[in-house]
Amino acid sequence: MERRPALGIRLKGVSKAFGAQLALASVDVEIPQGSYVAVMGANGAGKTTMLKVIAGLAAPTSGSVTIAGIEMRKAGPRLRAQVGFVSHETMLYADLTARENLRFHAKLFGLPRPREAAERAAERLDVGHALDKPVRALSRGTRQRVALARALIHDPSVILLDEPYTGLDEAAAASLSGLLEELATPERVVMLTLHDVVRALSGPRRLLVLSGGRVALDQPVDGSTDEMAETYLDLLRAEARR
Amino acid sequence: MKTDALQQPVGELRPVGEPGAEPRSRRRLWGTLTLISFPVLLAMAFLYAPEDANQGAAQRIFYIHVPSAWIGFLAFAVVFVGSIAFLATGKRRWDDVAAASAEIGVIFTTAVLITGPLWGRPVWGVYWTWDPRLTSFLMLWLIYLSYIVLRGYVPEPIRRAKFAAVLGIVGFLDVPIVYLSARWWRSEHPTQFVVESGDLPMQMLVTLLVGVATFTFFYLYLMAVRLRVGRLRARVEEAEVSR
Amino acid sequence: MSVLAPALTIAGKDLRLEMKTRDVVASVGLFVLLVVVTASFAFPTGGEGREGVAAGVLWMAFLFAALLGMGRSMAIEKEDACLEGLLVSPAPREAVFLGKLFTNLGFTFAVELVILPLFVILLQLEPGGGALLLVLSAFLGTLGLVTVGTLFAAMAVNTRGREAILPLLVMPVSIPVMVAAVKVSEAGFTGTWSGGTTSWLLLMVGYDALFLLVALATFQHVTEE
Repeated sequence: MERRPALGIRLKGVSKAFGAQLALASVDVEIPQGSYVAVMGANGAGKTTMLKVIAGLAAPTSGSVTIAGIEMRKAGPRLRAQVGFVSHETMLYADLTARENLRFHAKLFGLPRPREAAERAAERLDVGHALDKPVRALSRGTRQRVALARALIHDPSVILLDEPYTGLDEAAAASLSGLLEELATPERVVMLTLHDVVRALSGPRRLLVLSGGRVALDQPVDGSTDEMAETYLDLLRAEARR
Repeated sequence: MKTDALQQPVGELRPVGEPGAEPRSRRRLWGTLTLISFPVLLAMAFLYAPEDANQGAAQRIFYIHVPSAWIGFLAFAVVFVGSIAFLATGKRRWDDVAAASAEIGVIFTTAVLITGPLWGRPVWGVYWTWDPRLTSFLMLWLIYLSYIVLRGYVPEPIRRAKFAAVLGIVGFLDVPIVYLSARWWRSEHPTQFVVESGDLPMQMLVTLLVGVATFTFFYLYLMAVRLRVGRLRARVEEAEVSR
Repeated sequence: MSVLAPALTIAGKDLRLEMKTRDVVASVGLFVLLVVVTASFAFPTGGEGREGVAAGVLWMAFLFAALLGMGRSMAIEKEDACLEGLLVSPAPREAVFLGKLFTNLGFTFAVELVILPLFVILLQLEPGGGALLLVLSAFLGTLGLVTVGTLFAAMAVNTRGREAILPLLVMPVSIPVMVAAVKVSEAGFTGTWSGGTTSWLLLMVGYDALFLLVALATFQHVTEE
């Protein structure tokens, strides 16, 4: 797991239907290595579905998802080893301690020294003090950090976060923002979904807006953030009217 | 995905060539064939086929019981094929076929379970004999029911189709094992009531075949009707979503 | 990526979880104990043929234990999206299935290990040489039950009814393996091994093998969104 192939996520004609509803409608998107992308859109626009399809949790109804040129459908386990996924649920066993949870995931990801990996991950997220407490007993903020530690424990090259800012206070949000900034190196891909326009435009380097399962806006975040914010809000208003 | 389906009143005639027009003529075909062959079957069952020496008049229920059983089993085989095809291709049409066949299969299997005791009581004095075939049908009926109940518990159509497909496959593969176990169990607990499966006289055989044909037509007719209902339902779903 | 290693990791995690909370063992263990004790009141202690009825009651108790345990074990994964945590890992879907299978087997065997001797004592049975048959039937019968049950539990927790519909799904399909298990257990209680007994054992082996394969092949469809 040392050698990292040139990354890049590619969605080609990806559709995902839930019954009669199309959560994603023939999406074509390329996300090269080094991207730090904010994915926005109204509720039900397909943001979470897009992340789940990349993470291998949901199989597209049609189209293909490739990471590093390898199709998800063909080499799921190998690709999942490179992906870290954070959802709004913690994916932690509430009755085990943080340490036990982290060690479990480290083992699951095939890391050679799970105990150390767990400690390192906890240190990085500043939850070392909470390691031996059951997750149930931790505060919400701490729990979220442990969840992050879980997602990052295997040092993934693709980091997907589904609404990570929801429910965070200012301090926690600023801290998360800083962490994501650190993680968004040229070797990685960081993608997150969020609702806060300000946050989306101060940090991420690219903005993807989904509407009705399609890509409505795809632009690099440069100086014209005010314009971009306006465009985004217009899109939301138009959708609300429909 | 917009449709104009709701602009047309349901049941209105549609020009030939439009999707939905073809099945209508097939529905008519199966329906007509059923209507023709059913009275023929009844006539043959009561007038043409000879009365059984041992069992008397009650034996005539055989001509309903056995074809029902055959179709009940066939319907489940269709569920099996539909389930595998759905998992392999992902096309919802296969799930529609499986769901329709399961619902109709329950009807036929229920008929088997009702006609069985109706036959058994006058002939052997008991409503239920642990006859391996009848017992297997009881199990089949239960598996069908669990399939239908499962479908009722999953609101999202594609997930529902996947779950149902897995149950459909497991259930069908179970049937031969159920039959084997029912046979062995019965051989260890023999009852005095044995269903003779000796040679059938020609007339009985012919009547039986007519019965099988009748019930097959009836199955195909019900399938055609049920599939149409399924298609209409899907259209309503789509229309609601795109509003 | 190997299949066995992640499966064992998952089973190990469940073992650790169970040792901490004693969630499943407590509720299920007590329930099954009550079933057994109640049954032993209902039995005449002497009498011919009581081994057959005893075998039936025993397997009802085992069935309840398995159903409750499997339901609970999957429900735990559903909380806080833990199952998703397993599915985003590099563990192949078959490994996730096997892991839960091992967990459910381990748990059910543990309950059976306590219940079976208790049963023999309370009902004053004398298996003698039939003890091997008892062990075999418990192993093979439980394996069949839990294989199908683990697959269906993964479906059940994703339905409106949650794990409550698990018995509904498992029971019809598991009837043959249950009947076989009862038959072999009966032979075990009486201490006689006949030709019929061998047939039932083979049926169980066939059932277990077939549905293990089917479960491994179809598990990914059950967990995919």
